[in-house]
Amino acid sequence: MASPSKKDPATPAVELQSLTRNFGVRTALNKLDLTLPAGAFLTIFGHNGAGKTTLLRILATIEQASSGEAKVLGFSTKTEADEIRARIGFISHQPLLYADLTAEENLLFFARLYGVENAQEKTRALLAKTGLASRSLDVARTFSRGMIQRLSLARALLHDPELILLDEPYTGLDPQGTETLNALIDEIRDERSFILVSHHLESGLERATHVLTLDKGRIQFYGTRNEYENFVDATGKTSKTSQKTSQCTGGQA
Amino acid sequence: MKQFMTLLRKDLKIEFRTFDILSSMGIYAVLVLVVFGVAFMLGENSYDITPLASGLLWVLAVFTSLLGLNRSFNREREFSALEALLLSPLDRGVLFLSKVTANALFLSIVFVVAVPLFVFLFLQGGVQGNGVLAPSAPLVLAPLAVGILGIAGVGTLLATITLHTRGRDIMLALLFIPVIFPLLYSCVTASSMALLGISDSMVFLQTLGMGVGYDVIMILVGWMLYDFVLNG
Repeated sequence: MASPSKKDPATPAVELQSLTRNFGVRTALNKLDLTLPAGAFLTIFGHNGAGKTTLLRILATIEQASSGEAKVLGFSTKTEADEIRARIGFISHQPLLYADLTAEENLLFFARLYGVENAQEKTRALLAKTGLASRSLDVARTFSRGMIQRLSLARALLHDPELILLDEPYTGLDPQGTETLNALIDEIRDERSFILVSHHLESGLERATHVLTLDKGRIQFYGTRNEYENFVDATGKTSKTSQKTSQCTGGQA
Repeated sequence: MKQFMTLLRKDLKIEFRTFDILSSMGIYAVLVLVVFGVAFMLGENSYDITPLASGLLWVLAVFTSLLGLNRSFNREREFSALEALLLSPLDRGVLFLSKVTANALFLSIVFVVAVPLFVFLFLQGGVQGNGVLAPSAPLVLAPLAVGILGIAGVGTLLATITLHTRGRDIMLALLFIPVIFPLLYSCVTASSMALLGISDSMVFLQTLGMGVGYDVIMILVGWMLYDFVLNG
């Protein structure tokens, strides 16, 4: 297993060159080009079917591009997928856990798959950090949605990833769960890059340093948060689009 | 090897906690044996079932394993755990081999119960009681072992292919039986020889060898293609 190398601040977190993804005759992503600097917090907005989740899945190496190139932390998603997998954490609205393993067993299992040293100590520390220490011996099936999401976050952080991908992580969370998740994200924010796919305009923008809006698989806007705010002020259309997306509650790109 | 053991331990731990696969396969196997037993018992004439025994045994093996294979990815589908595995730097071939081993172990456990029951009901003075077992009968364990390994290998590969298809239960059965036919032919023939008496040990070994060859080829193919199968 590849172990994470020292972070090079000069290496962009993500580089896309003419990235295209087709599903039959439908084009989900159409020639995307962008460079996201290391340490940035990118929020991706867009309607259902805009290509947000597809982009995230390509960056996570669980889906492949039809053409073009995507580099994550300097590694190609096509030829160096294992290098990327060892360096990214992925949190989705799906739990990505084993329902019949306890919280501790889930974390230990994934820690061993990632070759994490001191897996037992790291597991206990993460369970304490996510407030699940008292439920560590309960199977995940018995957890509430908020607890599942915290356990999912702990799983994603086990191997100390450099880039964290969040695919609509707030879906199904109550306000308290959202608050807890935000607090955990803030705690691990330093020295990591984040990409968040969200339908919620306010929570999505709260931590963003960069914003990408997708429309029918094309880039509608990409820039820093300040540039995005100027863009929104200048064009009412994008603002309306974002407001619409902020009202959506689910769905995949 | 470390990842293989981690994956295998996880499958065994979940199974011995839930008995999801073992209970369904075990109950089904016992039911089939009882139904066959009652059917033969109701006949007015007494039969020597030994010539049919091999066929009965492999009908039991194929349908029981289909039931287990259909369930073998349930735990990966629930809570999208398979996606979490695919996100990790895990050799996909290792994932395949661990699943094959787990499925082969579960099938073996079921047959540890089913085969003695089968022998008792049909071959050793049970329902019929007039069957005469050849001295070579214990050698039936060899084609059973070869068959279980092959069924687990091909079944795991096909269960992965049909994982996201509509009506995957029937799709798996439709694909599984034609693909497994060469193995079935080898195992049924070798089992018949063992139960009825081996007249030519070379023919028995050649027949069994065909099954072993099938297992090696299919497991190698699965191991090499698993990444492609998962990405498809």
